[in-house]
Amino acid sequence: MENSFDEKILDEANDWIKANQKVVLATVIQTWGSSPRQVGSRMIVNEKGDFSGSVSGGCVESAVVSECLSLIKDNKPCKKIEFKVSNESAWEVGLACGGEIAVYIEQIH
Amino acid sequence: MKIKTLEEILKKKSSKTEFAILTNLENGNSEIYLPGTSPKGEFSKYSDEIEKFFKSKKNGVIENSEIFVETYIKPIKVVIVGAVHIAQYLVDFAKSLNFEISIIDPRGYFASEQRFPDIKVINKWPKEAFEEIETNSSTALIALTHDPKIDDPALQYALKNKFYYIGALGSKKTHENRCQRLSEAGFTNDEINSIHGPIGIKLGGKSAPEIALSIIAQLVLETYKK
Repeated sequence: MENSFDEKILDEANDWIKANQKVVLATVIQTWGSSPRQVGSRMIVNEKGDFSGSVSGGCVESAVVSECLSLIKDNKPCKKIEFKVSNESAWEVGLACGGEIAVYIEQIH
Repeated sequence: MKIKTLEEILKKKSSKTEFAILTNLENGNSEIYLPGTSPKGEFSKYSDEIEKFFKSKKNGVIENSEIFVETYIKPIKVVIVGAVHIAQYLVDFAKSLNFEISIIDPRGYFASEQRFPDIKVINKWPKEAFEEIETNSSTALIALTHDPKIDDPALQYALKNKFYYIGALGSKKTHENRCQRLSEAGFTNDEINSIHGPIGIKLGGKSAPEIALSIIAQLVLETYKK
Protein backbone atom coordinates (compact mmCIF):
# COMPACT_ATOMS: atom_id res chain seq x y z
CA MET A 1 0.00 0.00 0.00
CA GLU A 2 1.20 3.51 -0.71
CA ASN A 3 0.54 6.55 1.39
CA SER A 4 0.06 9.83 -0.41
CA PHE A 5 3.28 11.64 -1.11
CA ASP A 6 3.13 15.28 -0.07
CA GLU A 7 5.92 17.18 1.59
CA LYS A 8 3.79 20.33 1.68
CA ILE A 9 6.23 22.39 -0.39
CA LEU A 10 3.36 23.88 -2.38
CA ASP A 11 1.79 25.07 0.87
CA GLU A 12 5.04 26.79 1.68
CA ALA A 13 5.26 28.24 -1.85
CA ASN A 14 1.90 29.87 -1.27
CA ASP A 15 3.11 31.39 2.02
CA TRP A 16 6.13 32.84 0.24
CA ILE A 17 4.00 34.31 -2.53
CA LYS A 18 1.70 35.90 0.04
CA ALA A 19 4.82 37.48 1.54
CA ASN A 20 5.43 39.08 -1.89
CA GLN A 21 8.37 36.89 -2.83
CA LYS A 22 9.11 35.64 -6.33
CA VAL A 23 8.96 31.86 -6.26
CA VAL A 24 10.41 29.25 -8.60
CA LEU A 25 9.18 25.71 -8.18
CA ALA A 26 11.59 22.85 -8.95
CA THR A 27 10.20 19.33 -9.43
CA VAL A 28 11.95 16.01 -10.06
CA ILE A 29 10.22 14.80 -13.23
CA GLN A 30 12.38 11.81 -14.20
CA THR A 31 15.00 9.61 -12.56
CA TRP A 32 17.33 6.91 -13.90
CA GLY A 33 19.36 4.48 -11.82
CA SER A 34 19.83 5.11 -8.14
CA SER A 35 18.62 8.59 -7.30
CA PRO A 36 17.89 9.83 -3.81
CA ARG A 37 14.55 11.54 -4.36
CA GLN A 38 11.53 10.12 -6.13
CA VAL A 39 9.66 11.69 -9.05
CA GLY A 40 7.42 14.46 -7.74
CA SER A 41 9.91 15.65 -5.08
CA ARG A 42 9.90 19.41 -4.89
CA MET A 43 11.92 22.40 -3.87
CA ILE A 44 11.16 26.13 -3.95
CA VAL A 45 13.56 29.02 -4.42
CA ASN A 46 12.93 32.75 -3.98
CA GLU A 47 14.66 35.73 -5.59
CA LYS A 48 17.10 35.99 -2.67
CA GLY A 49 18.25 32.40 -3.16
CA ASP A 50 16.50 31.05 -0.05
CA PHE A 51 15.24 27.54 -0.66
CA SER A 52 13.10 24.85 0.96
CA GLY A 53 12.55 21.19 0.12
CA SER A 54 14.88 19.03 -1.99
CA VAL A 55 15.35 17.39 -5.36
CA SER A 56 18.35 15.25 -4.39
CA GLY A 57 20.22 14.33 -1.24
CA GLY A 58 22.01 17.66 -1.24
CA CYS A 59 24.03 16.91 -4.39
CA VAL A 60 22.52 19.36 -6.88
CA GLU A 61 20.49 21.80 -4.79
CA SER A 62 23.05 24.62 -5.15
CA ALA A 63 22.98 24.28 -8.95
CA VAL A 64 19.17 24.27 -8.92
CA VAL A 65 19.18 27.47 -6.85
CA SER A 66 21.40 29.27 -9.38
CA GLU A 67 19.31 28.00 -12.31
CA CYS A 68 16.17 29.28 -10.56
CA LEU A 69 17.77 32.68 -9.94
CA SER A 70 18.68 32.92 -13.65
CA LEU A 71 15.11 32.04 -14.57
CA ILE A 72 13.85 34.98 -12.48
CA LYS A 73 16.57 37.30 -13.85
CA ASP A 74 15.87 36.40 -17.49
CA ASN A 75 12.13 36.32 -16.79
CA LYS A 76 11.66 32.94 -18.46
CA PRO A 77 8.65 30.76 -17.54
CA CYS A 78 10.28 27.34 -17.30
CA LYS A 79 13.27 25.13 -18.02
CA LYS A 80 14.24 21.46 -17.87
CA ILE A 81 17.65 20.58 -16.39
CA GLU A 82 19.34 17.18 -16.37
CA PHE A 83 21.94 16.09 -13.84
CA LYS A 84 24.22 13.14 -14.42
CA VAL A 85 26.74 11.14 -12.43
CA SER A 86 29.53 13.28 -11.06
CA ASN A 87 33.23 12.59 -11.19
CA GLU A 88 34.01 12.17 -7.50
CA SER A 89 37.53 13.52 -7.84
CA ALA A 90 36.40 16.79 -9.38
CA TRP A 91 34.62 19.65 -7.66
CA GLU A 92 31.63 19.65 -9.90
CA VAL A 93 27.92 19.41 -9.47
CA GLY A 94 26.50 15.97 -10.03
CA LEU A 95 25.03 12.99 -8.32
CA ALA A 96 27.65 11.06 -6.38
CA CYS A 97 25.11 8.27 -5.95
CA GLY A 98 25.39 7.30 -9.60
CA GLY A 99 21.88 8.21 -10.62
CA GLU A 100 20.56 10.69 -13.12
CA ILE A 101 17.67 13.08 -12.61
CA ALA A 102 15.70 15.57 -14.64
CA VAL A 103 14.42 18.61 -12.78
CA TYR A 104 11.81 20.98 -14.13
CA ILE A 105 11.88 24.54 -12.88
CA GLU A 106 9.01 26.97 -13.36
CA GLN A 107 8.08 30.41 -12.10
CA ILE A 108 4.87 30.71 -10.13
CA HIS A 109 3.27 33.85 -11.50
CA MET B 1 2.41 27.52 -12.83
CA LYS B 2 -0.20 30.21 -12.28
CA ILE B 3 -0.89 31.42 -8.74
CA LYS B 4 -4.55 30.62 -9.39
CA THR B 5 -3.63 26.99 -10.15
CA LEU B 6 -1.51 26.79 -7.00
CA GLU B 7 -4.41 28.09 -4.89
CA GLU B 8 -6.76 25.56 -6.49
CA ILE B 9 -4.28 22.74 -5.74
CA LEU B 10 -4.11 23.76 -2.07
CA LYS B 11 -7.89 23.89 -1.87
CA LYS B 12 -8.19 20.39 -3.35
CA LYS B 13 -5.54 19.08 -0.97
CA SER B 14 -7.24 20.43 2.12
CA SER B 15 -10.61 19.00 1.07
CA LYS B 16 -8.88 15.60 0.50
CA THR B 17 -10.01 15.44 -3.12
CA GLU B 18 -8.01 13.17 -5.43
CA PHE B 19 -6.58 15.02 -8.40
CA ALA B 20 -3.57 15.32 -10.68
CA ILE B 21 -1.50 18.26 -11.83
CA LEU B 22 -0.79 18.09 -15.57
CA THR B 23 2.12 20.16 -16.83
CA ASN B 24 3.20 20.75 -20.40
CA LEU B 25 6.98 20.88 -19.96
CA GLU B 26 7.45 22.71 -23.25
CA ASN B 27 5.38 25.79 -22.52
CA GLY B 28 4.84 25.57 -18.75
CA ASN B 29 1.04 25.38 -19.00
CA SER B 30 -0.52 23.44 -16.16
CA GLU B 31 -3.97 22.20 -15.41
CA ILE B 32 -5.75 20.39 -12.59
CA TYR B 33 -7.30 17.07 -13.57
CA LEU B 34 -9.99 15.19 -11.65
CA PRO B 35 -10.11 11.41 -12.15
CA GLY B 36 -12.98 10.24 -14.33
CA THR B 37 -13.28 13.55 -16.20
CA SER B 38 -11.74 14.37 -19.59
CA PRO B 39 -8.55 16.38 -19.56
CA LYS B 40 -8.86 19.78 -21.20
CA GLY B 41 -7.19 21.38 -24.22
CA GLU B 42 -3.66 20.33 -25.00
CA PHE B 43 -3.89 17.47 -22.46
CA SER B 44 -7.05 15.92 -23.92
CA LYS B 45 -5.34 13.29 -26.08
CA TYR B 46 -3.50 11.80 -23.09
CA SER B 47 -6.60 10.80 -21.15
CA ASP B 48 -5.75 7.03 -21.03
CA GLU B 49 -2.16 7.60 -19.95
CA ILE B 50 -3.23 10.01 -17.21
CA GLU B 51 -5.73 7.46 -15.82
CA LYS B 52 -2.92 4.87 -15.81
CA PHE B 53 -0.76 7.10 -13.63
CA PHE B 54 -3.71 7.49 -11.28
CA LYS B 55 -4.33 3.77 -11.01
CA SER B 56 -0.68 3.05 -10.23
CA LYS B 57 -0.50 6.07 -7.86
CA LYS B 58 2.63 7.20 -9.65
CA ASN B 59 4.05 10.44 -11.00
CA GLY B 60 5.97 10.79 -14.26
CA VAL B 61 6.35 12.01 -17.81
CA ILE B 62 4.00 10.38 -20.34
CA GLU B 63 6.07 8.37 -22.82
CA ASN B 64 6.93 10.14 -26.09
CA SER B 65 5.48 13.39 -24.82
CA GLU B 66 6.40 16.43 -22.78
CA ILE B 67 3.52 16.02 -20.35
CA PHE B 68 4.26 15.55 -16.65
CA VAL B 69 1.61 13.99 -14.45
CA GLU B 70 1.63 14.35 -10.69
CA THR B 71 -1.11 12.50 -8.83
CA TYR B 72 -2.51 13.36 -5.43
CA ILE B 73 -4.26 10.51 -3.66
CA LYS B 74 -6.14 10.60 -0.38
CA PRO B 75 -3.96 10.25 2.69
CA ILE B 76 -4.33 7.09 4.77
CA LYS B 77 -6.82 7.48 7.61
CA VAL B 78 -5.70 6.68 11.10
CA VAL B 79 -8.19 6.49 13.95
CA ILE B 80 -6.74 6.97 17.41
CA VAL B 81 -8.78 5.88 20.42
CA GLY B 82 -7.74 7.85 23.47
CA ALA B 83 -6.91 11.55 23.39
CA VAL B 84 -3.94 10.87 25.66
CA HIS B 85 -0.43 12.33 25.87
CA ILE B 86 1.02 9.84 23.32
CA ALA B 87 -1.72 10.86 20.88
CA GLN B 88 -0.44 14.44 20.94
CA TYR B 89 2.95 13.26 19.65
CA LEU B 90 1.33 10.91 17.15
CA VAL B 91 -0.51 13.91 15.73
CA ASP B 92 2.81 15.74 15.32
CA PHE B 93 4.43 12.81 13.49
CA ALA B 94 1.35 12.19 11.37
CA LYS B 95 1.42 15.76 10.08
CA SER B 96 4.80 15.34 8.40
CA LEU B 97 4.10 11.74 7.38
CA ASN B 98 0.79 12.75 5.82
CA PHE B 99 -1.59 10.48 7.72
CA GLU B 100 -5.08 11.83 8.33
CA ILE B 101 -5.88 11.51 12.01
CA SER B 102 -9.23 11.29 13.79
CA ILE B 103 -9.37 10.89 17.54
CA ILE B 104 -12.11 9.20 19.51
CA ASP B 105 -12.46 9.69 23.23
CA PRO B 106 -15.70 9.78 25.20
CA ARG B 107 -13.92 11.47 28.11
CA GLY B 108 -14.49 15.16 27.52
CA TYR B 109 -11.61 16.37 29.67
CA PHE B 110 -9.16 14.49 27.41
CA ALA B 111 -10.74 15.19 24.06
CA SER B 112 -10.53 18.95 24.16
CA GLU B 113 -9.90 21.05 21.08
CA GLN B 114 -7.24 22.97 22.95
CA ARG B 115 -5.16 19.79 23.30
CA PHE B 116 -5.68 18.89 19.62
CA PRO B 117 -6.02 21.95 17.43
CA ASP B 118 -6.88 21.23 13.73
CA ILE B 119 -7.69 17.57 14.43
CA LYS B 120 -11.06 15.87 14.18
CA VAL B 121 -11.75 14.91 17.81
CA ILE B 122 -14.96 12.97 18.39
CA ASN B 123 -16.13 13.17 21.95
CA LYS B 124 -18.28 10.01 21.82
CA TRP B 125 -18.10 6.29 22.55
CA PRO B 126 -16.51 4.31 19.69
CA LYS B 127 -19.78 2.85 18.40
CA GLU B 128 -21.33 6.27 17.78
CA ALA B 129 -18.03 7.87 16.82
CA PHE B 130 -17.43 5.45 13.95
CA GLU B 131 -20.70 6.61 12.41
CA GLU B 132 -18.92 9.91 11.77
CA ILE B 133 -15.80 8.45 10.15
CA GLU B 134 -15.73 6.82 6.74
CA THR B 135 -13.52 3.74 7.10
CA ASN B 136 -12.40 0.84 4.90
CA SER B 137 -9.61 -1.73 4.59
CA SER B 138 -7.13 1.13 4.08
CA THR B 139 -7.83 2.54 7.54
CA ALA B 140 -5.63 2.04 10.61
CA LEU B 141 -6.60 1.93 14.28
CA ILE B 142 -4.40 2.85 17.23
CA ALA B 143 -6.03 2.09 20.58
CA LEU B 144 -4.36 3.94 23.42
CA THR B 145 -6.70 4.03 26.42
CA HIS B 146 -5.98 0.43 27.57
CA ASP B 147 -9.42 0.69 29.11
CA PRO B 148 -11.49 -2.25 27.81
CA LYS B 149 -14.70 -0.18 27.98
CA ILE B 150 -13.31 2.21 25.38
CA ASP B 151 -10.70 0.20 23.44
CA ASP B 152 -12.59 -3.09 23.01
CA PRO B 153 -15.56 -1.80 21.01
CA ALA B 154 -13.13 0.09 18.71
CA LEU B 155 -10.94 -3.00 18.24
CA GLN B 156 -14.03 -5.08 17.44
CA TYR B 157 -15.16 -2.50 14.88
CA ALA B 158 -11.71 -2.42 13.27
CA LEU B 159 -11.50 -6.22 13.08
CA LYS B 160 -14.98 -6.52 11.57
CA ASN B 161 -14.19 -3.83 9.00
CA LYS B 162 -10.77 -5.35 8.19
CA PHE B 163 -8.59 -2.36 8.96
CA TYR B 164 -5.08 -2.95 7.55
CA TYR B 165 -3.37 -2.02 10.79
CA ILE B 166 -4.71 -2.47 14.30
CA GLY B 167 -2.54 -1.77 17.32
CA ALA B 168 -3.37 -1.64 21.01
CA LEU B 169 -1.36 -0.14 23.83
CA GLY B 170 -0.87 -2.12 27.02
CA SER B 171 1.46 -4.61 28.71
CA LYS B 172 1.73 -8.25 27.66
CA LYS B 173 -0.64 -9.13 30.51
CA THR B 174 -3.15 -6.47 29.45
CA HIS B 175 -2.95 -7.76 25.90
CA GLU B 176 -3.47 -11.40 26.98
CA ASN B 177 -6.64 -10.39 28.80
CA ARG B 178 -7.74 -8.38 25.76
CA CYS B 179 -7.22 -11.40 23.48
CA GLN B 180 -9.23 -13.54 25.89
CA ARG B 181 -12.15 -11.07 25.78
CA LEU B 182 -12.05 -10.88 21.98
CA SER B 183 -12.02 -14.66 21.77
CA GLU B 184 -15.07 -14.82 24.03
CA ALA B 185 -16.72 -12.25 21.77
CA GLY B 186 -16.33 -14.73 18.89
CA PHE B 187 -13.25 -13.47 17.03
CA THR B 188 -10.95 -16.09 15.49
CA ASN B 189 -7.31 -16.58 16.51
CA ASP B 190 -6.14 -15.22 13.15
CA GLU B 191 -8.15 -12.06 13.66
CA ILE B 192 -6.91 -11.63 17.21
CA ASN B 193 -3.30 -12.29 16.22
CA SER B 194 -3.50 -9.60 13.57
CA ILE B 195 -3.65 -7.00 16.37
CA HIS B 196 -0.27 -5.49 17.16
CA GLY B 197 -0.13 -5.78 20.94
CA PRO B 198 1.76 -4.57 22.81
CA ILE B 199 1.76 -1.87 20.14
CA GLY B 200 4.89 -0.49 18.47
CA ILE B 201 8.38 -1.50 17.42
CA LYS B 202 10.72 -2.19 20.36
CA LEU B 203 12.98 0.84 20.51
CA GLY B 204 13.56 0.79 24.25
CA GLY B 205 12.16 4.25 24.99
CA LYS B 206 9.59 4.94 27.69
CA SER B 207 8.66 8.60 27.20
CA ALA B 208 5.46 9.63 25.40
CA PRO B 209 7.25 10.89 22.24
CA GLU B 210 9.41 7.75 22.15
CA ILE B 211 6.37 5.48 22.37
CA ALA B 212 4.64 7.57 19.69
CA LEU B 213 7.71 7.13 17.47
CA SER B 214 7.68 3.36 17.97
CA ILE B 215 3.97 3.26 17.05
CA ILE B 216 4.25 5.47 13.97
CA ALA B 217 7.33 3.51 12.78
CA GLN B 218 5.33 0.28 13.00
CA LEU B 219 2.44 1.91 11.16
CA VAL B 220 4.70 3.01 8.29
CA LEU B 221 6.32 -0.45 8.15
CA GLU B 222 2.94 -2.20 7.99
CA THR B 223 1.66 0.27 5.38
CA TYR B 224 4.39 -0.63 2.92
CA LYS B 225 4.07 -4.37 3.68
CA LYS B 226 0.45 -4.41 2.51
